[in-house]
Amino acid sequence: MDYDLGADADALRQRLRDLIHAHVPADFLGACTDDPADLELCNAFCRTLAEQGLLCLAWPEEYGGGGGDVWHQTIVREEMWAHHEPRGPQYMGVNWVGPALMRHGTDAQRAKHLPPIAAGEVIWCQGFSEPEAGSDLASLRTRAVADGDGWVVTGQKVWTSYALMAQWCVLATCTDPDAPSDRRITLFLVRMDSPGIEVRPIPSMLGPHHLNEVFIDGLRVSREDVLGEVGAGWTVMRDALAYERVGIARYARCESLMQRLLEVLDDDGRWEALAPALHARWVRALVDLRVARLLAYRAVGDSSGVDPAAAAVARIVTTTCDQNVAEVLVDAAGPDALDAGADALLHGAIDDHWRYAQAATVASGTIEVQRMLVSRSVLGSSR
Amino acid sequence: MKPALPEDAVAYGESARGRLERLGGVEFGLRAEADRELRKDAGAALADLGMLELDVRDDLDQFLAAAALCRVAGALCVPWPVVEDLVRTDGQWLALIDPAGPRVDHGDLHGEWVGAALDGAAYRLVIGALPHPAKLGPFLVPATLGEPAEQVSADDVARHLVLGAWRILGGLEAALGQVVEHVKARKQFGQALAQFQVVRFGIADASVALRGLDELARFTAWRLHAAEPAQRSADAVALRLHAVDAARAVLRTCHQMLGAIGFCDEHDVSVIDRHLQPLLREPCSGESLALRLVPAVRSGAFETLFS
Repeated sequence: MDYDLGADADALRQRLRDLIHAHVPADFLGACTDDPADLELCNAFCRTLAEQGLLCLAWPEEYGGGGGDVWHQTIVREEMWAHHEPRGPQYMGVNWVGPALMRHGTDAQRAKHLPPIAAGEVIWCQGFSEPEAGSDLASLRTRAVADGDGWVVTGQKVWTSYALMAQWCVLATCTDPDAPSDRRITLFLVRMDSPGIEVRPIPSMLGPHHLNEVFIDGLRVSREDVLGEVGAGWTVMRDALAYERVGIARYARCESLMQRLLEVLDDDGRWEALAPALHARWVRALVDLRVARLLAYRAVGDSSGVDPAAAAVARIVTTTCDQNVAEVLVDAAGPDALDAGADALLHGAIDDHWRYAQAATVASGTIEVQRMLVSRSVLGSSR
Repeated sequence: MKPALPEDAVAYGESARGRLERLGGVEFGLRAEADRELRKDAGAALADLGMLELDVRDDLDQFLAAAALCRVAGALCVPWPVVEDLVRTDGQWLALIDPAGPRVDHGDLHGEWVGAALDGAAYRLVIGALPHPAKLGPFLVPATLGEPAEQVSADDVARHLVLGAWRILGGLEAALGQVVEHVKARKQFGQALAQFQVVRFGIADASVALRGLDELARFTAWRLHAAEPAQRSADAVALRLHAVDAARAVLRTCHQMLGAIGFCDEHDVSVIDRHLQPLLREPCSGESLALRLVPAVRSGAFETLFS
């Protein structure tokens, strides 16, 4: 039994931190801001990572990756999320769109799409959720109707993150409403500037770019755009969601923010003055974060792929930790935590974290869906 | 990165489970409450299993074998101070105590005890008279501090805390396992309890808590053999704190799911819960454990990705 991440783990972690320090300003809070320069910074940083073989470190070399292992990729994920994800929306292409293409795509799709992802030159979004299909994704209504050699797609997506930033989308559609739920869905790879696609941003407490509506009217797609097989989209989505659930190392940002705030409070002489009850909450939050990290390692470390139940366990713990840490940070910081902007405490990172954490148990599959997956693994099916 | 337990430790745990189930399992622990002499049979069974040859101060493999034994002891309510026996020194069993009011689980079993506070300050213990039979911690015996003894090492305190956490883990796994079988079999309103979403979610949350405790227990055992001294102590306190917190949540779920049968001594969960109480309350509360970790957080001895 050994929990060492490998001989080169520390060096990789330090290399990433040095790169971030050199290319990302201290007040950076991610790509999802009103300042387009933040997205530009992310795109440039992705290209830098790609040039150094770090963007797709765990991809096979034949697809432009670094040939690293799952633990290298884990360290990348931790360091990026801890530092407010300077890859911006491109993490999604690296984490699951690319792997899904490798597993389910055609040779032509791999040749077309994998090199730009590996080079840090393309942003993908996922068109899954709909107004009437949130947790119950299999019931989505966006229709792809056969027409000549291809299909015509009409429908609506919602909560689509990065839709205004993305050049490409993995679009989930219903190709056969009469088929069983696991044979109804087909995924298409579509350009976001295609005729028939309109994006409208949704103002929210999370900040800009996190939530959008995508209206689809008469979008033409072809057989070459199908990811996987016609009617087999649910299989690909289930894989993708399992990867996505362990794809964001929320625990790493929590640990980073808690350390940064501890140092500020200690310098100000406020750390010792915190109430014992708050000290106890702080300690428990850190222990819980360690557990979240170990469960994430367990989920990604299975050589046979991400087990949905293990991913769900990790997801439940890391998302509830995220929200608990948000409260601990705000309570420890006091009223200063409500300030935003570069001059605020931790450059507004506490406010930013609290707002984003509210969505942790909703995004990428609600905590209720995760509980369903876990209970199914323990109790069997509920039907 | 290999989080799986070594095959030898797994095999030893299975062997221990078989032997201690033949002794009578949880029911044997219950009977020992009324006939305390029965505990000597448990001691003999543990000796058969080679417990006395396990050296928890040696390598990780031996420690994990000891941890596996503690896990089984928790699951089967083995009426023997397994942790205290495993961390013995020169034939003296070691109890972790609150010096302000020492109590020792199974203190009446053995002639010589050393009691150590969490800071390692140690005393020979004078075991008191058997108290009025208690439901919670039925083998707890009061003690008084005797002569000061040699300081107990921080690593022995850490080993004690960690092995105790493994015993808690075993008890919780057994309790939840019983509850899972119950909700699958018990029907109300025309269907198995396991069909109700509120029940399924309760089981899911308890399962998540146990999987987390399991991972942390493995990791901490490894850390005792891989980390710096101050980190080892902090990690042990953190694990015990997490075990105490998990126990509170998991046992609450177990009782709620079982209904009245779970309070009855004919059901294992009642016995498991009562027998675990000393480990959950001694040598101090979870709140005290949390506050003990605060300096380690500040110093970085409790290590995170950014400390």
